Amino acid sequence: MKVWNLLIVGAGPAGLNAAIAAAGEGLKVKIIDEFNRIGGRLLGQLHQEPNGEWWNGIDVANRLHEKAITLGVKIESGVSVYDLEQSEFGWKVYTSEGMEKTEKLLLATGATEVPTPIPGWTIPGVMSIGAAQVMGNVHRVKPGNTCVIIGANVLSIAIANELRLCGVEVKEIVISQPNSSLTHSGTPEKVMESLLQLTHLAPSVLLRQAGRVAKYIHPSLAVKFYPKNGMNILDIPIKIKTAATEIIGDKKVKGVKTVNIRSNGEIIPNTERITEADFVCIAGGLAPLPELAALTSCEFKFVHELGGHIPLHSERMETNEPNLFVAGNITGVESAKVAMAQGTVAGLTIASEIKGNKKHSDSAIEEALLTVRKEREEALIQFQPNIARARELIYQQFELDWKAESPKRSIS
Amino acid sequence: MAGEKTIVCRCEEVTLETIVDTIEQYSCSSREVKLRTRAGMGYCGGRTCRNVIDRIVAATNGEPIKDELQLSYRSPIRPATFEVLGGGHENES
Amino acid sequence: MRMRVDHHPVLGKQTDRKQVTIFFNGKPYDAYEGDTIASAMMAQGVYALRQHEVSGNARGVYCNIGHCYECRVKVEDRKVVRACLTTVYHGMEIDSLSGFSEGNE
Ligand code: FES
Repeated sequence: MKVWNLLIVGAGPAGLNAAIAAAGEGLKVKIIDEFNRIGGRLLGQLHQEPNGEWWNGIDVANRLHEKAITLGVKIESGVSVYDLEQSEFGWKVYTSEGMEKTEKLLLATGATEVPTPIPGWTIPGVMSIGAAQVMGNVHRVKPGNTCVIIGANVLSIAIANELRLCGVEVKEIVISQPNSSLTHSGTPEKVMESLLQLTHLAPSVLLRQAGRVAKYIHPSLAVKFYPKNGMNILDIPIKIKTAATEIIGDKKVKGVKTVNIRSNGEIIPNTERITEADFVCIAGGLAPLPELAALTSCEFKFVHELGGHIPLHSERMETNEPNLFVAGNITGVESAKVAMAQGTVAGLTIASEIKGNKKHSDSAIEEALLTVRKEREEALIQFQPNIARARELIYQQFELDWKAESPKRSIS
Repeated sequence: MAGEKTIVCRCEEVTLETIVDTIEQYSCSSREVKLRTRAGMGYCGGRTCRNVIDRIVAATNGEPIKDELQLSYRSPIRPATFEVLGGGHENES
Repeated sequence: MRMRVDHHPVLGKQTDRKQVTIFFNGKPYDAYEGDTIASAMMAQGVYALRQHEVSGNARGVYCNIGHCYECRVKVEDRKVVRACLTTVYHGMEIDSLSGFSEGNE
């Protein structure tokens, strides 16, 4: 049975670019992904860049896919991974299509959505915001004609606009139940604070408008003067002083019960009402999906800025586990462009370990690292403030824990 | 708010109330909550609610979320049929 | 009900796909090649795909990318798959789990 030089789990922006970089250095590479199309989260993405051009994730995914194929990368979709095992040659990877052998393993499994549970959220027709995005942009199916989105953040506002382009009437974006351990976006003031931190970097003119009102004033004031009925952005009312308390329906969703709340999250009595909708989206944000790494003895860190638990890793995308690498949102939630740049770093690092041509590869890796930093700085969608600093700390931690006294890794 | 009866773990239909009661009664970690209530133990392997349970535990116990993955994963990560585990091709995709 | 986005202001039009027929709980539904079971059923306004095995509550697509397993259905009376990851083909027979029989509503 064939032993790959590199097996990649996840055919999103990070996995595809890693494959392209590694295959470009002559490695035998295979990518597997459980979705039935290639591109991962790229597939759903559709937003306008500051220069007015559209970032069409499907086009980007197709381009990367073709390039990888041209370089001889083997790509299989619809394949799930069940288990990983260290072996004398590297890794055994157990999949729904049998076992794969590989010297190096790259986990590029991306992120998962974090829900904000609310009564009624298991009713059919209630879905994560990403689910609606994929339905509309990838499968070209409207989940319904009207919708309510629960959770006001950059991602939900961007996807609201995408749904609008699909012909969906987004009736309102409201916030999730305040003062609950189920949410951490919290009160209108906190929501405003995070929107303000983010909107100056947010995608398209659309989102910058969200920050327009309050860019130069304090969040608490901005909330105070925030209109009770919300602010319309391209016909989508964003109501950060309205909170969802329950989703109603039985075999099919009927609508959302909401109340008005004060800036501190207090409910204003007698303001309960129901907004009817064909479907309801829950937008609680993203978190890295590290489950496969958790099958190994990889060290983990919880880093709020990066979205949750991540495998500890170096800037060159190594983990403490020999022959195991990570790239993309599994290392922290960031934009697709950052993930792509990280993929290149991982691909080159792995090629360098296998080929041992350190001089050539070191300069290429340094260059790739510069791209990561540049993309991070210019990112339109900044999921959290202070990402760069949180990253630095992780890299330092990795050096401390795994490089200082244990020279077992061949490259540094 | 009507939060108490909210289902947190969709697979096992475990409510916020059950989770919080369990944390308070046993002052326990996410891993223990999982074993006691089955929250995060269902078909999806805790992928949907793991982050939420971590938050609830942290908020209830008043401590930060730990570095270790508290809901430890055990293979197989995806529920697999016996054929797949035996190397056959009859797969749960 | 038909909820297709045939024309999209940015992504362009998508009208040239081959139509197939699939069966959900014995009832025929139109679908397109390339659809997942989940997208085909949602395009027909069918949200409930299964019943919770204990409470019997109706469940449908939640994450749409294979993470949550809420969309499990039985195909050809043989294997359980995630509807959101599984591509349809002409004549595919899909059944709800837990003896759920009514596709619509
Ligand atoms: S909808 Fe979540 S796995 Fe299919």
